[in-house]
Amino acid sequence: MDASAAKLLGAGLSMGLGAIGPGVGLGILIGKALEGIARQPEVSGDIRTNMFIGIGVTEAVALYAFVVALILIFVAK
Amino acid sequence: MLKRVPRWAKLIGVVVVLVGLALIPGRAKQQLEVAKEFELTPIVKLPHVGPVDLSINKAVVYLWIATAVIAVAALVINRTLKARPGRFQLAMEGLFELARNGIVGSVMKSGADTWFPYIGAAFVFVLVSNVIGLVPLPFAEHNQLGFYAATANLYVTLTLALFTFAFTHYAGIKKNGPVHYFKNWMPKGAPPVLREFIFVIHGVSEIFRLVSLSVRLFANMVAGHAILAVFFAMALIFQSYLAAAILQGGSAMIYLFEIFVAVIQAFIFAILSAVYIGGALEQEH
Repeated sequence: MDASAAKLLGAGLSMGLGAIGPGVGLGILIGKALEGIARQPEVSGDIRTNMFIGIGVTEAVALYAFVVALILIFVAK
Repeated sequence: MLKRVPRWAKLIGVVVVLVGLALIPGRAKQQLEVAKEFELTPIVKLPHVGPVDLSINKAVVYLWIATAVIAVAALVINRTLKARPGRFQLAMEGLFELARNGIVGSVMKSGADTWFPYIGAAFVFVLVSNVIGLVPLPFAEHNQLGFYAATANLYVTLTLALFTFAFTHYAGIKKNGPVHYFKNWMPKGAPPVLREFIFVIHGVSEIFRLVSLSVRLFANMVAGHAILAVFFAMALIFQSYLAAAILQGGSAMIYLFEIFVAVIQAFIFAILSAVYIGGALEQEH
C-alpha cells in the first residue's frame, strides 16, 4: 500500500471509529436529560443548560477525531 | 387550479420530471477542491513585522464584518430604545436575556455582574461570526461567492479561548489570592507526593480546557462548511442533473442544521467560559 492510500484510509478510520464513542455518549446523555425533564418538567431549564454543557464536552471527542483526519489528509507527509 | 389535478397525475408528473432530469446528460466533469475553501490567500499584501504577517486575508475581513455588524446593531438599538419595543428591540432583548439569565445567571453564583460583560460579548461575537459564515460573500477565489467563517480558523478560536483562559486565572487569583488559588489545585488530605502529582495533572487539565474550547468551535465550523461544500461539489462529481436536484435538497437541510449548530456552538462557548470562570471564583476550601 502506498503512503497516500494509507493516509486516506487512516483518515476515514479515525473519523469513523472516533465517532462511535461520542455517538453512544450523546445518546445516553440526551436520553437521560429527556427522562429527567419528563419526570420533573419544572426543572427543565436547568437540565437543558447542563445538557448543552455535556453535549459540548462529549462532542469535542468526535471533533478531535475529525481534526486528526484533517491532519492525516492535508498535513501529514 | 392545482387542486383539481388528481394525485396520480401529480405523481406521474414528478416521475416524468425526475426521469427527464436523469436523461439530460451532465456537463463535463469539474473539480471542486473543498480544502481550497479554507485556504487563506492575502487580499491586500502588507509587510511582515518580525514574525507576524500583517497581510489582510479572508479571515481578517470576516472579523471586520462581524465587528461592524455588532457595532452597528449596538448603536441602532441604543439610539432607538423605546418603552414599547418593536420587533428588532424584542429580538435584542431576548438575546440579552439569554446571555444574562440563561448563560451567566444559571452557571455563576457570585461575580455574575463582574463577568457578564466579557461572557456576553464573547457570546455575541461568536454567534455573529458563526452566522455570517453562512451568508455567501464574495471573498472566494476570483471574487466568487463563497462560505467562510472567521471561527473556522484555529487562530481566531484560539485567541478567543486564550481570553477565557487568562480571565479564568485572573479571576481566581484576584478573588482568592495567588497562594490560596494554587494551593486549592491540590486536595488537602492527600499524602505529600501525590499532592504534587495531582497539582501537575490539574495544570495539564487547565491547558486541555484551552485546547478543547478552541478546537471544538473550530472543528464544528470547519466540519459544517466542509459538509456544505461536499454537498455542492457532489452535483459536479456525479455529472447528472437528477443527482444535482436531489443533492440541492440535501444541502438545504444541511444548511438549516448549520444555523442550529452556529447558535449552539456560540451558546456552548459562552456557557463553558462562564463555567470555567465561575469554577475559579468558587473554590472549595
